[in-house]
Amino acid sequence: MNPYIMSIFLLGLGLGTTITFMSSHWLLAWMGLEINTLAIIPLMAQHHHPRSVEASTKYFLTQATAAAMILFASSTNAWITGQWDINELSHPMSSTIMMLGLALKIGLAPLHTWLPEVLQGLDLTTGLIMSTWQKLAPFSLLMQMNLNNSVMITMAIMSTMIGGWGGLNQTQLRKILAYSSIAHIGWMILVLQFSPSLTLITLMIYIFMTLSIFCLFKMNKTTSINSLAMSWSKSPTITALSPLILLSLGGLPPLTGFGPKWMILSELTKQDLNMIATITALSALLSLYFYLRLSYAMTLTLSPNTTPITNQWRFNTKQPTIHLSISTMLSLMLLPLLPGIMTIIN
Amino acid sequence: MLKILIPTVMLIPTIWFTPKKWLWPSTLTHSLVIALFTLTWLTWPSETAWSNLNGLMATDPLSTPLLILTCWLLPLMILASQNHTTNDPINRQRMYISLLTSLQLFLILAFSATELIMFYIMFEATLIPTLLIITRWGNQTERLNAGTYFLFYTLAGSLPLLVALLMLQNKTGSLSMLTLQHSNPLNLIMLGDKLWWMGCLMAFLVKMPLYGVHLWLPKAHVEAPIAGSMILAAVLLKLGGYGMMRLMNILEPLSKQLSYPFMILALWGIIMTGLICLRQNDLKSLIAYSSVSHMGLVTTGILIQTPWGFTGALVLMIAHGLTSSALFCLANTNYERTHSRTMVLARGLQMVLPLMAMWWFTASLANMALPPLPNLMGELMIISSLFNWSPWTLTLTGLGTLITAAYSLYLFLTTQRGPLTNHLLHMEPSHSREHLIMTLHLIPLTLLIFKPELLWGWIF
Amino acid sequence: MVNFITFAREHWMNLLVPMGFVIGWYLDKQQDKKLTAFRNKSLLYSRELKPGEEVTWK
Repeated sequence: MNPYIMSIFLLGLGLGTTITFMSSHWLLAWMGLEINTLAIIPLMAQHHHPRSVEASTKYFLTQATAAAMILFASSTNAWITGQWDINELSHPMSSTIMMLGLALKIGLAPLHTWLPEVLQGLDLTTGLIMSTWQKLAPFSLLMQMNLNNSVMITMAIMSTMIGGWGGLNQTQLRKILAYSSIAHIGWMILVLQFSPSLTLITLMIYIFMTLSIFCLFKMNKTTSINSLAMSWSKSPTITALSPLILLSLGGLPPLTGFGPKWMILSELTKQDLNMIATITALSALLSLYFYLRLSYAMTLTLSPNTTPITNQWRFNTKQPTIHLSISTMLSLMLLPLLPGIMTIIN
Repeated sequence: MLKILIPTVMLIPTIWFTPKKWLWPSTLTHSLVIALFTLTWLTWPSETAWSNLNGLMATDPLSTPLLILTCWLLPLMILASQNHTTNDPINRQRMYISLLTSLQLFLILAFSATELIMFYIMFEATLIPTLLIITRWGNQTERLNAGTYFLFYTLAGSLPLLVALLMLQNKTGSLSMLTLQHSNPLNLIMLGDKLWWMGCLMAFLVKMPLYGVHLWLPKAHVEAPIAGSMILAAVLLKLGGYGMMRLMNILEPLSKQLSYPFMILALWGIIMTGLICLRQNDLKSLIAYSSVSHMGLVTTGILIQTPWGFTGALVLMIAHGLTSSALFCLANTNYERTHSRTMVLARGLQMVLPLMAMWWFTASLANMALPPLPNLMGELMIISSLFNWSPWTLTLTGLGTLITAAYSLYLFLTTQRGPLTNHLLHMEPSHSREHLIMTLHLIPLTLLIFKPELLWGWIF
Repeated sequence: MVNFITFAREHWMNLLVPMGFVIGWYLDKQQDKKLTAFRNKSLLYSRELKPGEEVTWK
C-alpha cells in the first residue's frame, strides 16, 4: 500500500479512538467508532487475498450492526430521558441494547462468532491492531456507563468458557489468539461493574501479552501450530522464553498474567460472588490447555530438521525486535510491581 | 533468611558465566555450600516458634526440616543429572541447572513464607520449572501427556484454593500465618462453608497425592528425568503436607466430620497402591506408587490432627523424601546402563554391580521402615495415633505395612538377586559419582536416628 | 602475573555466591536490628539493664 495512504488510514485509526475517548456525547462517541471502523477496513483488505476480503466484509457487517445498535440505544435514551450524555444512559432498555452493541464490537460471547473468522483473514500486524487497539474505544465507553445487571456477568462467564472451549480444537494460531482474546475479555467484563480501574489494568496487561505473542509469531512468520515447531532454529532465545509468555497469557503465577486474575478473583470474593469466582477461575484451565499445547509444539519438543535449516539463527532478523523484547519482559516480570500499578491507576 | 536466598539467586548468573569445564563442579560446590549453611536454621533462639524473621519470611520447627531438605536436594540433583545431560549442548545444560536452581528458589520462598497468599503463589510458581523439566528433558513422547496431567491436576485443585484464601482474607482481614491462629474462630455452619473447607484442602490433597487424585504422579515420575523425579518425590509432594498442616488449625470445627471421606480414601489408598506396586513391572512407576502409599499415611496423620499425628507426618515426610529420592537415583543408575525401566530386563544386578546392591539393600530397607530409621519412627507415630483414633484402622495400616515390606522385598529381589540375564554382561561399572549420591542421601537419614527431635516440629 | 589474570578471568564468577552470602548476611543483620529495636521498651519482654548498658531504642 502507498505509504501516504497507509499513514492516513493509521491516523484515522488513531483519531477515531481518540474521539471516542474524549467524547461525553453519545453521537460523538459513535462517530469516533465509525471513523475507526472505516479506517481499519482498507488496512484489512490490503492484501487482496480472498480470505482478507472475506474478513473485511464480515468485519464491516458486524461493526455496522454494532454501530447501528449503539446509535439506536443512545437515541432511544435521548428520546426517553432527554439526555445524550454518556454517563446518563439510564433507561434499562437502552442500556441493555447498548451493552449488546458494545459486546458485539469487542467480541464478547455469545456475540463473538465473527472474531475468529475475521482474525484468521488478517496478516499478523493488522491482527495485532484488531485484538488490541480496536478494543480500546468500546472499553472506554463501557467503563463510563453505569451498568449494573446480571446480563453482563452471564455474558462474561460465557465468554471465558467459550474462549477456552473454542480454542481447544484449533490449529491456526490467529484463531487461537482470537479465542484467547474472547476469554480475556470475559474476565475484564466480569469485574467491570465492581471496579472499572481493574478492567483497565487487565486490558493493559492483556495488550502487553498479546503484543509480545503477535510480535513473536510475526518474527517467525508462523500462522499454524505445525510451523511453530521450526521456530527454535530461527531464534533460540525468544523460543525459550515463549512458553513463559504463553503461560503468562494463561495466568500462571509468578508471571504477569496471574496479577489481573488474582485481583479480579479478590474483587469478586469481596462482592460475595464466590461460586462465580470459582467457576471463572476453573474456566481459565480450558484456555491454559491450548497455550500449553502451543508451548509444547514450539519449545518443549524438538522437530527433526535438516542441517541447513537448523542454522537459521545465525542470520539476524531484519525486523525490529525492541518492542518484542520490551513487551516480553513486561509480560513476564510485572507481577511484583502490581501494587504500584494498582495505586497509579486507581 | 536472605543469607540463603540471595546466594541461591546469585547461583544463576554463576551458572551462566562459569566456563564449560567448570560448570558441573562449581555449581555442585556452590549449592553444597549453600545447603550446609542452611543447617544454621536448626537453632531456634526465640521462645515463640518463629525465628529468622524478616518482612515476608520466617522459619519455624515445621518448615525448617523441609527447607533444609530442599536445599540439600539441589546438589544431589546436580550430581545425579550430570551423566544424562552430557550429550546436550552446553547452553541447554546451563538452562537445566538454572531451572533446578529456580525451583530451589521458589521452594525456599514457599516454605518460609509467612503469608498464606505468598505461600500460594510460590506453591504455584514451582509448577513452571517442574513442567519444563518434565516435558523438555523427559525421554519418551508420553512426557507431554505427563506434563499436561501434572499441570492440570494441580491447577484444578489449587484454583479453588486461591478463591478460598481470598474468602478467608475477607473474613479475617489477614492471611498472616503468625496471627491467623489467634484470630476469631470462624462461624462455619453453612453448606458454603463446607465447600470452602474442600477448597482449602483439595489443592494440597491433590499435591500429596491422595488416592483417587493421584494419577498424575506416577506419570510425572515415570517420564521425568532423574532430577525431576527426585525433587517431585522429595520436596514437591511435601508442599501438600506442609500446606495442610498450616491450614488445618483454622478449619477447626468442620474437619472433625468432613475429613472422613478423605481418611477413607487415604487409608484405602495405602492398600491399593501397595497392591499396585506388587504387580508393577516398571521400576520408576513402582517407586512412584510406593510414594503414593507413604503419602497416604502422612495424609491420615495430618487429618486426625493429634500432636503425634502431626509429628509422625513431618518425620515421615522428611524420611520418605530422602528414601524415595535415593531409590529414584538407584533406578536411574539402572536406566543409564540398560536404557529401560522394565524390571525384568535388569535382573540379578548384584553380580555386576555388587556395591550398588548394598545401596539398593539399604534404600529398600529404609523404604520398608527398618527399626532404627526415622521412617519407622514416623510410621509408628502415625499408626499409633490412628489406632487411638479408631482401633479398626490397625487392620488397614497393618496390612499396608505388610504390603510395603512385600513390595520392597520384591523390588530388591527382582533387581539384585537371581541369575544375570545375558544382555547385561557388558555393563559399565558403577561410578564414584553414583556412590557419592547414595552416600549423601543415606548419611542424613542415618544421622537423624540419633537426633530425631530435629524433625519433631513444634509439638514437643 | 599472567597466571593470576588468567585465574581471575576464569574464576571471578565463583565470587558471586559468597558475595550474595555477605549481602544477605548484612541485610539479615539490619533486619534483626530493626525488629529487636523495641525489645527493651516492652514491659512484657524487657529485662533489667546491666550497669552501663545502652538501651537498644533511642
